[in-house]
Amino acid sequence: MITLHQVCKTYPNGVNAVCHLSMEIPEGETLVLLGTSGSGKTTTMKMVNRLIEPTSGKIFINEKDVGQQDPIQLRRKIGYAIQHVGLFPHMTVAENIAVVPRLLRWPVSQIDKRVNVLLAMVGLEPDGFRGRYPAQLSGGQRQRIGVARALAANPPIVLMDEPFGALDPITREQLQNEFIELVSKIEKTIIFVTHDVFEAVKMGDRIALLDSGCLQQLATPVELVENPANEFVDQFLGQHRFQLSLLTRIIKTIMPGTNQKTSGPGTSVPSLRLRAKSSLIEALDMFKKAGKVTLPVYEGKHFVGNLEKTHLLKAITQVMEETGGTT
Amino acid sequence: MSSLIAIFQKLGPEILTRTYEHIYLVFMAMVIAVIIALSLGIYLTRCRWPKLVSVIMGIAGAIQTVPSLALIAFIVVVFAVIRLPTIGTIPALVALVLYALLPILRNTYTGIRQVDDSIIEVAVGMGMKSHQILFSVELPLSLPVIMAGIRISTVWTIGVATLCGLIGAGGLGDLIIKGLRSIRPDYLLAGTLPAAALALVFDWLLGLVEKWLTPEGLRAGPDNKV
Repeated sequence: MITLHQVCKTYPNGVNAVCHLSMEIPEGETLVLLGTSGSGKTTTMKMVNRLIEPTSGKIFINEKDVGQQDPIQLRRKIGYAIQHVGLFPHMTVAENIAVVPRLLRWPVSQIDKRVNVLLAMVGLEPDGFRGRYPAQLSGGQRQRIGVARALAANPPIVLMDEPFGALDPITREQLQNEFIELVSKIEKTIIFVTHDVFEAVKMGDRIALLDSGCLQQLATPVELVENPANEFVDQFLGQHRFQLSLLTRIIKTIMPGTNQKTSGPGTSVPSLRLRAKSSLIEALDMFKKAGKVTLPVYEGKHFVGNLEKTHLLKAITQVMEETGGTT
Repeated sequence: MSSLIAIFQKLGPEILTRTYEHIYLVFMAMVIAVIIALSLGIYLTRCRWPKLVSVIMGIAGAIQTVPSLALIAFIVVVFAVIRLPTIGTIPALVALVLYALLPILRNTYTGIRQVDDSIIEVAVGMGMKSHQILFSVELPLSLPVIMAGIRISTVWTIGVATLCGLIGAGGLGDLIIKGLRSIRPDYLLAGTLPAAALALVFDWLLGLVEKWLTPEGLRAGPDNKV
Protein backbone atom coordinates (compact mmCIF):
# COMPACT_ATOMS: atom_id res chain seq x y z
CA MET A 1 0.00 0.00 0.00
CA ILE A 2 1.19 3.49 -0.85
CA THR A 3 0.21 6.30 1.47
CA LEU A 4 0.65 9.99 0.75
CA HIS A 5 0.36 12.15 3.83
CA GLN A 6 -0.03 15.90 3.43
CA VAL A 7 2.50 15.98 0.61
CA CYS A 8 3.51 19.40 -0.71
CA LYS A 9 6.01 20.32 -3.38
CA THR A 10 7.07 23.88 -3.99
CA TYR A 11 9.66 24.41 -6.68
CA PRO A 12 12.50 26.90 -6.12
CA ASN A 13 10.79 29.33 -8.49
CA GLY A 14 7.84 29.48 -6.09
CA VAL A 15 5.44 27.30 -8.06
CA ASN A 16 3.28 25.11 -5.86
CA ALA A 17 3.24 21.93 -7.89
CA VAL A 18 1.46 19.84 -5.27
CA CYS A 19 -0.47 21.09 -2.22
CA HIS A 20 -1.37 19.02 0.82
CA LEU A 21 -2.04 15.85 -1.09
CA SER A 22 -3.16 12.87 0.94
CA MET A 23 -4.34 9.57 -0.41
CA GLU A 24 -4.03 5.84 0.03
CA ILE A 25 -3.45 3.43 -2.80
CA PRO A 26 -4.24 -0.12 -1.71
CA GLU A 27 -2.24 -3.04 -2.99
CA GLY A 28 -3.19 -4.22 -6.46
CA GLU A 29 -5.01 -1.03 -7.39
CA THR A 30 -4.46 0.94 -10.57
CA LEU A 31 -4.68 4.57 -9.58
CA VAL A 32 -4.81 7.09 -12.37
CA LEU A 33 -3.48 10.58 -11.73
CA LEU A 34 -5.50 12.72 -14.11
CA GLY A 35 -5.08 16.39 -14.89
CA THR A 36 -3.97 18.96 -17.40
CA SER A 37 -0.29 19.82 -17.79
CA GLY A 38 0.88 21.69 -14.73
CA SER A 39 -1.64 19.96 -12.50
CA GLY A 40 1.10 18.23 -10.50
CA LYS A 41 0.29 14.69 -11.60
CA THR A 42 3.80 13.85 -12.80
CA THR A 43 5.40 15.58 -9.82
CA THR A 44 3.22 13.47 -7.52
CA MET A 45 4.27 10.29 -9.28
CA LYS A 46 7.96 11.17 -9.22
CA MET A 47 7.88 11.80 -5.49
CA VAL A 48 6.99 8.15 -4.95
CA ASN A 49 10.36 6.93 -6.27
CA ARG A 50 12.15 10.05 -5.05
CA LEU A 51 13.00 11.46 -8.44
CA ILE A 52 11.56 14.56 -6.78
CA GLU A 53 11.71 15.18 -3.05
CA PRO A 54 8.58 16.59 -1.39
CA THR A 55 8.95 19.98 0.30
CA SER A 56 6.86 18.72 3.19
CA GLY A 57 4.71 15.74 4.00
CA LYS A 58 5.57 12.08 3.79
CA ILE A 59 5.08 9.15 1.49
CA PHE A 60 4.95 5.63 2.83
CA ILE A 61 5.18 2.33 1.02
CA ASN A 62 3.84 -0.44 3.22
CA GLU A 63 4.12 1.92 6.20
CA LYS A 64 7.81 2.58 5.54
CA ASP A 65 8.74 6.21 4.92
CA VAL A 66 10.35 6.41 1.48
CA GLY A 67 12.28 9.47 2.64
CA GLN A 68 14.23 7.22 5.00
CA GLN A 69 15.16 4.69 2.32
CA ASP A 70 18.14 4.61 0.00
CA PRO A 71 16.74 6.07 -3.25
CA ILE A 72 18.78 3.67 -5.40
CA GLN A 73 17.44 0.57 -3.65
CA LEU A 74 13.95 2.07 -3.55
CA ARG A 75 13.88 2.73 -7.30
CA ARG A 76 15.04 -0.76 -8.15
CA LYS A 77 11.96 -2.09 -6.42
CA ILE A 78 9.60 0.19 -8.36
CA GLY A 79 8.92 -0.28 -12.06
CA TYR A 80 9.15 2.87 -14.14
CA ALA A 81 7.93 3.62 -17.65
CA ILE A 82 7.62 7.00 -19.34
CA GLN A 83 6.03 8.53 -22.39
CA HIS A 84 9.09 8.88 -24.58
CA VAL A 85 9.78 5.25 -23.74
CA GLY A 86 13.36 6.04 -22.80
CA LEU A 87 14.70 2.80 -24.25
CA PHE A 88 18.48 2.87 -24.40
CA PRO A 89 19.21 3.11 -28.13
CA HIS A 90 22.60 1.38 -27.84
CA MET A 91 21.19 -1.68 -26.13
CA THR A 92 19.23 -4.53 -27.67
CA VAL A 93 15.68 -5.25 -26.63
CA ALA A 94 16.92 -8.02 -24.33
CA GLU A 95 19.55 -5.76 -22.74
CA ASN A 96 17.01 -3.00 -22.24
CA ILE A 97 14.61 -5.31 -20.45
CA ALA A 98 17.45 -6.75 -18.39
CA VAL A 99 18.64 -3.43 -16.95
CA VAL A 100 17.09 -3.67 -13.49
CA PRO A 101 17.59 -7.45 -13.06
CA ARG A 102 21.26 -6.84 -13.89
CA LEU A 103 21.50 -4.00 -11.40
CA LEU A 104 20.04 -6.45 -8.89
CA ARG A 105 22.68 -9.00 -9.96
CA TRP A 106 20.34 -11.78 -10.97
CA PRO A 107 22.10 -14.82 -12.42
CA VAL A 108 22.42 -14.63 -16.21
CA SER A 109 20.29 -17.69 -16.92
CA GLN A 110 17.47 -16.31 -14.80
CA ILE A 111 17.63 -12.94 -16.57
CA ASP A 112 17.51 -14.74 -19.90
CA LYS A 113 14.40 -16.66 -18.96
CA ARG A 114 12.75 -13.58 -17.52
CA VAL A 115 13.33 -11.60 -20.73
CA ASN A 116 11.63 -14.32 -22.76
CA VAL A 117 8.69 -14.51 -20.37
CA LEU A 118 8.23 -10.74 -20.50
CA LEU A 119 8.48 -10.51 -24.27
CA ALA A 120 5.84 -13.20 -24.60
CA MET A 121 3.75 -11.39 -22.01
CA VAL A 122 3.69 -8.16 -24.03
CA GLY A 123 2.91 -10.08 -27.21
CA LEU A 124 6.29 -10.03 -28.92
CA GLU A 125 7.93 -13.20 -30.14
CA PRO A 126 11.11 -13.57 -28.01
CA ASP A 127 13.44 -15.08 -30.61
CA GLY A 128 12.56 -12.49 -33.21
CA PHE A 129 12.89 -9.47 -30.93
CA ARG A 130 15.62 -10.13 -28.33
CA GLY A 131 18.48 -9.02 -30.54
CA ARG A 132 16.85 -6.00 -32.17
CA TYR A 133 17.66 -2.41 -31.40
CA PRO A 134 15.03 0.20 -30.51
CA ALA A 135 15.60 1.95 -33.85
CA GLN A 136 14.42 -1.21 -35.57
CA LEU A 137 11.06 -1.25 -33.79
CA SER A 138 7.75 0.49 -34.42
CA GLY A 139 6.38 2.94 -31.84
CA GLY A 140 3.95 0.38 -30.48
CA GLN A 141 6.65 -2.26 -30.17
CA ARG A 142 8.94 0.15 -28.34
CA GLN A 143 6.18 0.99 -25.93
CA ARG A 144 5.60 -2.69 -25.30
CA ILE A 145 9.30 -3.11 -24.50
CA GLY A 146 9.02 -0.09 -22.20
CA VAL A 147 6.23 -1.82 -20.29
CA ALA A 148 8.16 -5.10 -20.23
CA ARG A 149 11.20 -3.31 -18.87
CA ALA A 150 9.17 -1.69 -16.10
CA LEU A 151 7.94 -5.13 -15.08
CA ALA A 152 11.33 -6.84 -15.48
CA ALA A 153 12.35 -7.35 -11.87
CA ASN A 154 8.76 -8.12 -10.92
CA PRO A 155 8.32 -4.99 -8.80
CA PRO A 156 5.18 -4.80 -6.63
CA ILE A 157 4.71 -1.16 -7.68
CA VAL A 158 4.84 0.30 -11.18
CA LEU A 159 4.87 3.99 -12.07
CA MET A 160 3.78 4.92 -15.57
CA ASP A 161 3.94 8.43 -16.95
CA GLU A 162 1.66 8.64 -20.00
CA PRO A 163 3.14 5.42 -21.32
CA PHE A 164 0.86 5.38 -24.35
CA GLY A 165 0.90 9.12 -24.96
CA ALA A 166 3.08 9.20 -28.05
CA LEU A 167 1.19 6.56 -30.01
CA ASP A 168 -1.37 6.85 -32.77
CA PRO A 169 -4.97 6.35 -31.57
CA ILE A 170 -5.36 2.85 -32.98
CA THR A 171 -2.11 1.49 -31.55
CA ARG A 172 -2.83 3.26 -28.29
CA GLU A 173 -6.23 1.63 -27.94
CA GLN A 174 -4.73 -1.75 -28.73
CA LEU A 175 -1.99 -1.32 -26.13
CA GLN A 176 -4.46 -0.05 -23.55
CA ASN A 177 -6.60 -3.15 -24.00
CA GLU A 178 -3.59 -5.45 -23.83
CA PHE A 179 -2.35 -3.62 -20.75
CA ILE A 180 -5.70 -3.97 -18.97
CA GLU A 181 -5.60 -7.68 -19.80
CA LEU A 182 -2.01 -7.90 -18.52
CA VAL A 183 -2.76 -6.03 -15.31
CA SER A 184 -5.67 -8.32 -14.52
CA LYS A 185 -3.21 -11.23 -14.55
CA ILE A 186 -0.38 -9.70 -12.51
CA GLU A 187 -1.00 -8.30 -9.06
CA LYS A 188 0.59 -4.87 -9.19
CA THR A 189 -0.05 -1.54 -7.60
CA ILE A 190 0.09 0.90 -10.48
CA ILE A 191 0.25 4.67 -10.52
CA PHE A 192 -0.69 5.78 -14.01
CA VAL A 193 -0.36 9.38 -15.10
CA THR A 194 -2.43 10.69 -17.99
CA HIS A 195 -4.16 13.82 -19.24
CA ASP A 196 -6.63 11.81 -21.29
CA VAL A 197 -9.89 11.37 -19.42
CA PHE A 198 -10.94 8.44 -21.61
CA GLU A 199 -7.70 6.64 -20.89
CA ALA A 200 -8.19 7.37 -17.19
CA VAL A 201 -11.71 5.95 -17.17
CA LYS A 202 -10.55 2.91 -19.09
CA MET A 203 -7.43 2.06 -17.12
CA GLY A 204 -8.18 3.18 -13.59
CA ASP A 205 -9.68 1.36 -10.64
CA ARG A 206 -9.79 4.83 -9.15
CA ILE A 207 -9.01 8.23 -10.58
CA ALA A 208 -7.43 11.14 -8.74
CA LEU A 209 -8.26 14.33 -10.59
CA LEU A 210 -5.73 17.06 -9.86
CA ASP A 211 -5.78 20.75 -10.63
CA SER A 212 -2.87 23.08 -9.90
CA GLY A 213 -1.56 20.66 -7.33
CA CYS A 214 -4.82 20.14 -5.44
CA LEU A 215 -6.85 16.98 -5.38
CA GLN A 216 -10.30 17.72 -6.80
CA GLN A 217 -11.81 14.28 -6.59
CA LEU A 218 -10.63 10.77 -5.83
CA ALA A 219 -13.19 8.27 -7.01
CA THR A 220 -13.92 5.27 -9.17
CA PRO A 221 -14.53 6.10 -12.83
CA VAL A 222 -18.29 5.59 -12.44
CA GLU A 223 -18.49 7.88 -9.43
CA LEU A 224 -16.35 10.51 -11.10
CA VAL A 225 -18.54 10.57 -14.18
CA GLU A 226 -21.89 10.24 -12.41
CA ASN A 227 -21.20 12.40 -9.36
CA PRO A 228 -18.62 15.11 -10.02
CA ALA A 229 -17.55 16.48 -6.66
CA ASN A 230 -17.40 20.09 -7.71
CA GLU A 231 -17.64 22.58 -10.52
CA PHE A 232 -14.09 21.91 -11.69
CA VAL A 233 -14.61 18.17 -12.10
CA ASP A 234 -17.86 18.84 -13.91
CA GLN A 235 -16.13 21.21 -16.31
CA PHE A 236 -13.17 18.93 -16.79
CA LEU A 237 -15.46 16.14 -17.96
CA GLY A 238 -17.34 18.79 -19.93
CA GLN A 239 -18.67 17.75 -23.27
CA HIS A 240 -17.34 14.21 -22.82
CA ARG A 241 -19.96 13.36 -20.20
CA PHE A 242 -22.13 11.38 -22.60
CA GLN A 243 -19.34 9.25 -24.06
CA LEU A 244 -17.82 8.76 -20.62
CA SER A 245 -21.12 7.53 -19.22
CA LEU A 246 -21.37 5.01 -22.02
CA LEU A 247 -17.87 3.84 -21.08
CA THR A 248 -18.42 3.65 -17.34
CA ARG A 249 -21.95 2.23 -17.22
CA ILE A 250 -21.98 -1.52 -17.47
CA ILE A 251 -24.72 -3.62 -18.97
CA LYS A 252 -25.48 -5.25 -15.64
CA THR A 253 -27.07 -2.00 -14.49
CA ILE A 254 -29.52 -1.91 -17.38
CA MET A 255 -30.53 -5.57 -17.41
CA PRO A 256 -34.30 -5.91 -17.00
CA GLY A 257 -33.70 -8.81 -14.60
CA THR A 258 -37.11 -10.57 -14.91
CA ASN A 259 -38.24 -13.89 -16.39
CA GLN A 260 -34.92 -14.45 -18.05
CA LYS A 261 -34.43 -18.01 -16.85
CA THR A 262 -36.74 -19.36 -19.54
CA SER A 263 -34.55 -18.38 -22.42
CA GLY A 264 -31.36 -19.60 -20.83
CA PRO A 265 -29.36 -21.83 -23.17
CA GLY A 266 -27.72 -25.12 -22.35
CA THR A 267 -24.52 -25.66 -20.42
CA SER A 268 -22.09 -24.43 -23.04
CA VAL A 269 -21.09 -20.77 -23.12
CA PRO A 270 -21.65 -19.36 -26.64
CA SER A 271 -18.88 -17.38 -28.28
CA LEU A 272 -21.27 -14.58 -29.17
CA ARG A 273 -22.08 -13.19 -25.78
CA LEU A 274 -21.88 -10.08 -23.67
CA ARG A 275 -20.08 -9.87 -20.39
CA ALA A 276 -22.08 -8.38 -17.56
CA LYS A 277 -19.14 -6.03 -16.94
CA SER A 278 -19.07 -4.77 -20.55
CA SER A 279 -19.75 -1.10 -21.00
CA LEU A 280 -22.71 0.14 -23.03
CA ILE A 281 -20.29 1.11 -25.81
CA GLU A 282 -18.79 -2.36 -25.92
CA ALA A 283 -22.27 -3.86 -26.02
CA LEU A 284 -23.22 -1.64 -28.93
CA ASP A 285 -20.08 -2.70 -30.78
CA MET A 286 -20.91 -6.32 -30.11
CA PHE A 287 -24.43 -5.98 -31.52
CA LYS A 288 -23.00 -4.36 -34.61
CA LYS A 289 -20.45 -7.11 -35.08
CA ALA A 290 -22.86 -9.97 -34.39
CA GLY A 291 -25.72 -8.51 -36.43
CA LYS A 292 -28.29 -9.92 -33.99
CA VAL A 293 -31.18 -8.33 -32.13
CA THR A 294 -30.67 -10.30 -28.91
CA LEU A 295 -27.49 -11.38 -27.18
CA PRO A 296 -27.01 -13.50 -24.08
CA VAL A 297 -25.27 -11.88 -21.13
CA TYR A 298 -22.88 -13.83 -18.95
CA GLU A 299 -21.16 -13.08 -15.70
CA GLY A 300 -18.14 -15.29 -15.95
CA LYS A 301 -19.68 -18.64 -16.96
CA HIS A 302 -22.97 -17.83 -15.33
CA PHE A 303 -25.88 -16.88 -17.60
CA VAL A 304 -27.49 -13.62 -16.47
CA GLY A 305 -30.12 -13.00 -19.12
CA ASN A 306 -30.76 -11.87 -22.66
CA LEU A 307 -30.31 -8.29 -23.76
CA GLU A 308 -32.28 -6.91 -26.65
CA LYS A 309 -30.74 -4.33 -28.89
CA THR A 310 -33.77 -2.06 -28.59
CA HIS A 311 -33.38 -2.13 -24.82
CA LEU A 312 -29.74 -1.13 -25.07
CA LEU A 313 -30.58 1.71 -27.45
CA LYS A 314 -33.26 2.91 -25.07
CA ALA A 315 -30.74 2.90 -22.23
CA ILE A 316 -28.29 4.87 -24.34
CA THR A 317 -30.94 7.42 -25.21
CA GLN A 318 -31.69 7.74 -21.54
CA VAL A 319 -28.01 8.40 -20.77
CA MET A 320 -27.97 11.03 -23.47
CA GLU A 321 -30.95 12.78 -21.92
CA GLU A 322 -29.42 12.61 -18.45
CA THR A 323 -26.09 14.03 -19.48
CA GLY A 324 -27.54 16.43 -22.03
CA GLY A 325 -24.82 15.28 -24.37
CA THR A 326 -24.74 15.08 -28.11
CA THR A 327 -22.82 12.65 -30.26
CA MET B 1 59.29 11.53 -59.59
CA SER B 2 62.63 9.83 -60.01
CA SER B 3 64.28 12.57 -57.93
CA LEU B 4 61.70 11.96 -55.17
CA ILE B 5 62.61 8.30 -55.12
CA ALA B 6 66.26 9.32 -54.99
CA ILE B 7 65.61 11.56 -51.99
CA PHE B 8 63.86 8.81 -50.12
CA GLN B 9 66.59 6.34 -51.01
CA LYS B 10 69.26 8.65 -49.73
CA LEU B 11 67.46 9.89 -46.61
CA GLY B 12 65.49 6.69 -45.95
CA PRO B 13 66.97 5.75 -42.57
CA GLU B 14 66.71 9.29 -41.26
CA ILE B 15 63.11 9.66 -42.44
CA LEU B 16 62.22 6.47 -40.62
CA THR B 17 63.82 7.62 -37.35
CA ARG B 18 62.20 11.05 -37.57
CA THR B 19 58.80 9.54 -38.39
CA TYR B 20 59.12 7.25 -35.42
CA GLU B 21 60.01 10.22 -33.19
CA HIS B 22 57.11 12.16 -34.61
CA ILE B 23 54.61 9.38 -33.95
CA TYR B 24 56.01 8.90 -30.46
CA LEU B 25 55.63 12.60 -29.69
CA VAL B 26 52.08 12.77 -31.06
CA PHE B 27 51.09 9.54 -29.37
CA MET B 28 52.38 10.61 -25.94
CA ALA B 29 50.74 14.02 -26.29
CA MET B 30 47.42 12.49 -27.31
CA VAL B 31 47.39 9.94 -24.48
CA ILE B 32 47.97 12.69 -21.94
CA ALA B 33 45.52 15.08 -23.62
CA VAL B 34 42.77 12.44 -23.84
CA ILE B 35 43.18 11.54 -20.16
CA ILE B 36 43.03 15.18 -19.07
CA ALA B 37 40.30 16.33 -21.47
CA LEU B 38 38.09 13.30 -20.95
CA SER B 39 38.13 13.47 -17.17
CA LEU B 40 37.78 17.24 -17.17
CA GLY B 41 34.92 17.04 -19.69
CA ILE B 42 33.10 14.42 -17.62
CA TYR B 43 33.66 16.47 -14.48
CA LEU B 44 32.19 19.54 -16.17
CA THR B 45 28.99 17.68 -17.10
CA ARG B 46 28.53 16.96 -13.40
CA CYS B 47 29.63 20.37 -12.23
CA ARG B 48 27.08 22.47 -10.43
CA TRP B 49 28.52 25.85 -11.38
CA PRO B 50 27.76 26.76 -14.98
CA LYS B 51 30.31 29.58 -14.61
CA LEU B 52 33.18 27.14 -14.10
CA VAL B 53 32.17 25.35 -17.30
CA SER B 54 32.34 28.54 -19.34
CA VAL B 55 35.60 29.60 -17.68
CA ILE B 56 37.35 26.31 -18.44
CA MET B 57 35.96 26.15 -21.96
CA GLY B 58 37.09 29.74 -22.41
CA ILE B 59 40.63 28.96 -21.29
CA ALA B 60 40.84 25.92 -23.58
CA GLY B 61 39.51 28.03 -26.43
CA ALA B 62 41.98 30.82 -25.73
CA ILE B 63 44.95 28.41 -25.84
CA GLN B 64 43.68 27.28 -29.18
CA THR B 65 43.74 30.80 -30.59
CA VAL B 66 47.42 31.34 -29.70
CA PRO B 67 49.52 30.65 -32.83
CA SER B 68 51.24 27.33 -32.33
CA LEU B 69 54.70 28.82 -32.87
CA ALA B 70 54.01 31.43 -30.21
CA LEU B 71 52.72 28.80 -27.80
CA ILE B 72 55.91 26.79 -28.13
CA ALA B 73 58.07 29.89 -27.71
CA PHE B 74 56.03 30.91 -24.72
CA ILE B 75 56.47 27.55 -23.02
CA VAL B 76 60.21 27.62 -23.61
CA VAL B 77 60.40 31.07 -22.00
CA VAL B 78 58.25 30.05 -19.05
CA PHE B 79 60.29 26.88 -18.58
CA ALA B 80 63.49 28.92 -18.68
CA VAL B 81 62.17 31.24 -15.97
CA ILE B 82 61.16 28.36 -13.68
CA ARG B 83 64.37 26.48 -14.52
CA LEU B 84 62.89 23.47 -16.29
CA PRO B 85 64.48 21.96 -19.41
CA THR B 86 63.87 24.27 -22.37
CA ILE B 87 64.81 21.86 -25.11
CA GLY B 88 63.78 18.32 -25.88
CA THR B 89 60.64 16.26 -25.46
CA ILE B 90 59.20 17.75 -22.25
CA PRO B 91 58.44 21.33 -23.33
CA ALA B 92 57.31 19.99 -26.70
CA LEU B 93 54.86 17.59 -25.04
CA VAL B 94 53.47 20.33 -22.83
CA ALA B 95 52.77 22.52 -25.84
CA LEU B 96 51.19 19.70 -27.83
CA VAL B 97 49.00 18.61 -24.94
CA LEU B 98 47.74 22.14 -24.36
CA TYR B 99 47.00 22.46 -28.02
CA ALA B 100 45.20 19.13 -28.26
CA LEU B 101 42.87 19.68 -25.29
CA LEU B 102 40.07 21.81 -26.71
CA PRO B 103 38.45 19.56 -29.35
CA ILE B 104 38.39 16.58 -27.00
CA LEU B 105 37.18 18.61 -24.05
CA ARG B 106 34.44 20.32 -26.02
CA ASN B 107 33.24 17.13 -27.68
CA THR B 108 33.22 15.19 -24.42
CA TYR B 109 31.17 17.88 -22.72
CA THR B 110 28.66 18.41 -25.52
CA GLY B 111 28.59 14.69 -26.37
CA ILE B 112 27.47 13.79 -22.87
CA ARG B 113 25.16 16.78 -22.63
CA GLN B 114 23.31 15.92 -25.82
CA VAL B 115 22.18 12.55 -24.48
CA ASP B 116 18.39 12.72 -24.33
CA ASP B 117 17.14 13.90 -20.92
CA SER B 118 14.35 11.34 -20.86
CA ILE B 119 16.91 8.55 -21.25
CA ILE B 120 18.86 9.84 -18.26
CA GLU B 121 15.68 10.25 -16.28
CA VAL B 122 14.63 6.69 -16.95
CA ALA B 123 18.10 5.48 -15.97
CA VAL B 124 17.82 7.34 -12.65
CA GLY B 125 14.25 6.15 -12.20
CA MET B 126 15.29 2.54 -12.61
CA GLY B 127 17.84 2.88 -9.84
CA MET B 128 21.14 3.32 -11.69
CA LYS B 129 23.90 5.02 -9.75
CA SER B 130 25.69 8.02 -11.19
CA HIS B 131 28.74 6.05 -12.32
CA GLN B 132 26.54 3.33 -13.83
CA ILE B 133 24.71 5.96 -15.84
CA LEU B 134 28.05 7.40 -16.97
CA PHE B 135 29.60 4.14 -18.06
CA SER B 136 26.63 2.23 -19.40
CA VAL B 137 24.50 5.06 -20.81
CA GLU B 138 26.20 8.42 -21.26
CA LEU B 139 29.63 7.35 -22.49
CA PRO B 140 28.44 4.70 -24.98
CA LEU B 141 25.94 7.17 -26.42
CA SER B 142 28.46 9.99 -26.72
CA LEU B 143 31.44 7.89 -27.87
CA PRO B 144 31.06 8.78 -31.56
CA VAL B 145 31.16 12.49 -30.72
CA ILE B 146 34.10 12.11 -28.34
CA MET B 147 35.99 10.03 -30.91
CA ALA B 148 35.40 12.72 -33.53
CA GLY B 149 37.04 15.20 -31.16
CA ILE B 150 40.05 12.93 -30.63
CA ARG B 151 40.36 12.48 -34.37
CA ILE B 152 40.38 16.21 -35.15
CA SER B 153 42.80 16.79 -32.32
CA THR B 154 45.20 14.08 -33.52
CA VAL B 155 45.34 15.44 -37.05
CA TRP B 156 46.09 18.93 -35.74
CA THR B 157 48.72 17.66 -33.38
CA ILE B 158 50.54 15.83 -36.18
CA GLY B 159 50.83 19.17 -37.97
CA VAL B 160 51.79 21.21 -34.92
CA ALA B 161 54.35 18.60 -33.87
CA THR B 162 56.54 19.55 -36.84
CA LEU B 163 57.24 22.80 -34.99
CA CYS B 164 58.75 20.85 -32.12
CA GLY B 165 61.83 20.34 -34.29
CA LEU B 166 62.60 23.95 -33.38
CA ILE B 167 63.21 23.10 -29.75
CA GLY B 168 65.13 19.93 -30.36
CA ALA B 169 62.32 17.46 -29.76
CA GLY B 170 63.09 15.66 -32.99
CA GLY B 171 60.39 14.44 -35.32
CA LEU B 172 59.78 15.29 -38.94
CA GLY B 173 60.11 19.00 -38.15
CA ASP B 174 63.82 18.38 -37.76
CA LEU B 175 64.12 17.53 -41.44
CA ILE B 176 62.06 20.56 -42.46
CA ILE B 177 64.23 22.90 -40.41
CA LYS B 178 67.36 21.37 -41.86
CA GLY B 179 65.97 21.96 -45.34
CA LEU B 180 65.12 25.54 -44.45
CA ARG B 181 68.54 26.38 -42.98
CA SER B 182 70.57 24.89 -45.78
CA ILE B 183 68.08 25.63 -48.60
CA ARG B 184 67.74 21.95 -49.41
CA PRO B 185 64.41 21.05 -51.04
CA ASP B 186 65.13 17.34 -50.63
CA TYR B 187 65.17 17.69 -46.84
CA LEU B 188 62.06 19.86 -46.93
CA LEU B 189 60.18 17.22 -48.91
CA ALA B 190 61.55 14.42 -46.76
CA GLY B 191 59.98 16.11 -43.73
CA THR B 192 56.77 17.43 -45.27
CA LEU B 193 55.52 14.44 -47.24
CA PRO B 194 55.67 11.90 -44.39
CA ALA B 195 53.98 14.43 -42.05
CA ALA B 196 51.12 14.92 -44.51
CA ALA B 197 50.88 11.17 -45.06
CA LEU B 198 50.79 10.58 -41.30
CA ALA B 199 47.91 13.02 -40.91
CA LEU B 200 45.94 11.26 -43.65
CA VAL B 201 46.66 7.79 -42.34
CA PHE B 202 45.74 8.66 -38.76
CA ASP B 203 42.57 10.44 -39.87
CA TRP B 204 41.56 7.31 -41.74
CA LEU B 205 42.51 4.93 -38.92
CA LEU B 206 40.71 6.94 -36.27
CA GLY B 207 37.72 7.17 -38.59
CA LEU B 208 37.62 3.38 -38.57
CA VAL B 209 37.91 3.32 -34.79
CA GLU B 210 35.10 5.86 -34.57
CA LYS B 211 32.85 3.68 -36.70
CA TRP B 212 33.82 0.61 -34.75
CA LEU B 213 33.09 2.31 -31.42
CA THR B 214 29.68 3.60 -32.51
CA PRO B 215 27.18 1.37 -30.71
CA GLU B 216 25.42 -0.94 -33.14
CA GLY B 217 22.02 0.31 -32.07
CA LEU B 218 22.89 3.84 -33.20
CA ARG B 219 24.00 2.63 -36.59
CA ALA B 220 20.90 0.54 -37.11
CA GLY B 221 18.16 2.44 -38.86
CA PRO B 222 14.55 1.37 -39.29
CA ASP B 223 15.33 0.22 -42.81
CA ASN B 224 17.78 -2.52 -41.91
CA LYS B 225 15.55 -4.74 -39.89
CA VAL B 226 17.07 -8.03 -38.84
